Amino acid sequence: MSKHQRMAIIPAGLMAVLLLASCAAVQSGTDVLAGTGQISESDRQAILKTSEAVSATFSQITEEQEYYIGRSVAALILAQYPAYDNAALNDYINTMGQAIVYSSDRPEIYAGYHFLVLDTEEVNALSAPGGFIFISKGLIRRCKNEEMLASILAHEVGHVCSKHGLQAIKKSRLVDAFRVIGTEAARRYGSEELAQLTTAFEGALGDVFETLVVRGYDRKYEYEADELAVKFDTAVGYSPQGLTDFLQTMIGDSTTASGKGWFKTHPSAEQRMEKAKSRIAALSSVPAEASVRTKRFEQSIAKLD
Amino acid sequence: MKRPIPLTLTICLLILIVSLLVAETLTVKVQSTSLRNSPKFYAPAVQALSAGEKLEKISDQSGWIQVKTAGGVVGWVHSSAVQVPKFDLMATNKGLKTQASADEVALAGKGFNKQVEESYKAKHKDVSFVWVDKMLQIKIAAARVEEFLKKGKLGEFGGGQ
Repeated sequence: MSKHQRMAIIPAGLMAVLLLASCAAVQSGTDVLAGTGQISESDRQAILKTSEAVSATFSQITEEQEYYIGRSVAALILAQYPAYDNAALNDYINTMGQAIVYSSDRPEIYAGYHFLVLDTEEVNALSAPGGFIFISKGLIRRCKNEEMLASILAHEVGHVCSKHGLQAIKKSRLVDAFRVIGTEAARRYGSEELAQLTTAFEGALGDVFETLVVRGYDRKYEYEADELAVKFDTAVGYSPQGLTDFLQTMIGDSTTASGKGWFKTHPSAEQRMEKAKSRIAALSSVPAEASVRTKRFEQSIAKLD
Repeated sequence: MKRPIPLTLTICLLILIVSLLVAETLTVKVQSTSLRNSPKFYAPAVQALSAGEKLEKISDQSGWIQVKTAGGVVGWVHSSAVQVPKFDLMATNKGLKTQASADEVALAGKGFNKQVEESYKAKHKDVSFVWVDKMLQIKIAAARVEEFLKKGKLGEFGGGQ
């Protein structure tokens, strides 16, 4: 190798080192700036987005990771609302839930869909990623028939199918997690990598939980879930009017004013009803309600205390 | 004089051949599922399948894929239960790499896994997983869902599509 060639290798090597280091530097730099309040979180996200060579999106979260995120989000939801320990009612909800799942866009997920009634009079329904779906006693009490209840479960299944919960996770968490995943070959992590992954995990759970329980999804996701509810209901054989009937009961509900649960995190019942009605009107035919279902619904919720 | 085949054409042809060969092999991406004897959830199970198992695609029909296991058993799986390798000819080299690494992560069980959950639990002892585990134990057999549909005049037993 000539002296001239050697001279050329040095800057090239330096450039390579700089390129490799730049992503990490931008990441830590933005952390510092965001920490001091010099840039906003959204600016930080934007900078990371353009600086990262690796694209990190929710769609890269594997089924197994979605399941683990969902387990912990479900545990956090259950720390907020106690479970309703009523085996017969939970069995009914789960059987109906599975019937809807079979007709959904994503019937098979890592550990399947599981439904649980929450022991609260607050009107609420929540779905954690990975198929952990919750419905409150307060909401069930406001349903008059199986079609109404089915439309709520179908709306929640829709959120899981479209991975709306995962989309709440900030890109920075994924960037952090994928960096560790990319560097480690083993399934078990060393203490440093594990600490980094756990921090990203905690952040991701916080993002999802805050969206589900405190802030609510982006309106477009709620309308999309209503659209899917109409689609899945019709596919199973339920009247999609269960959704509009339920929304109708919510209009003028005295608890609306409390601004808790469902009312805080969802667009107004009037707005949702308008959209759902036009979607149903566009269908060529819709299944009708059946008294046999209303009867079993009434029997199933009779023991609701 | 023999004209050399342009390099880009050779690469495109290679990618096409590889994608055609690979596209037929599917990987089970859910923890467990069943290979069924006809394309519906409550059809009798032929064999149990678990994550990572490779299946050979035979045909498909409205969301269901007819497959053959390594042991030669033929049956149906729902498309949402398997990873279909995607090789987009228009994709850049980076795109192909991303797909490969996503599969690799899935197979290796990397990222947010049981070990990370244990680490999270150790830091947050106040967060209980008791009911999460109870929830997972609520399992409704496909035959019971079929019964529920039948009695409620739903699905193929009523107005369903």
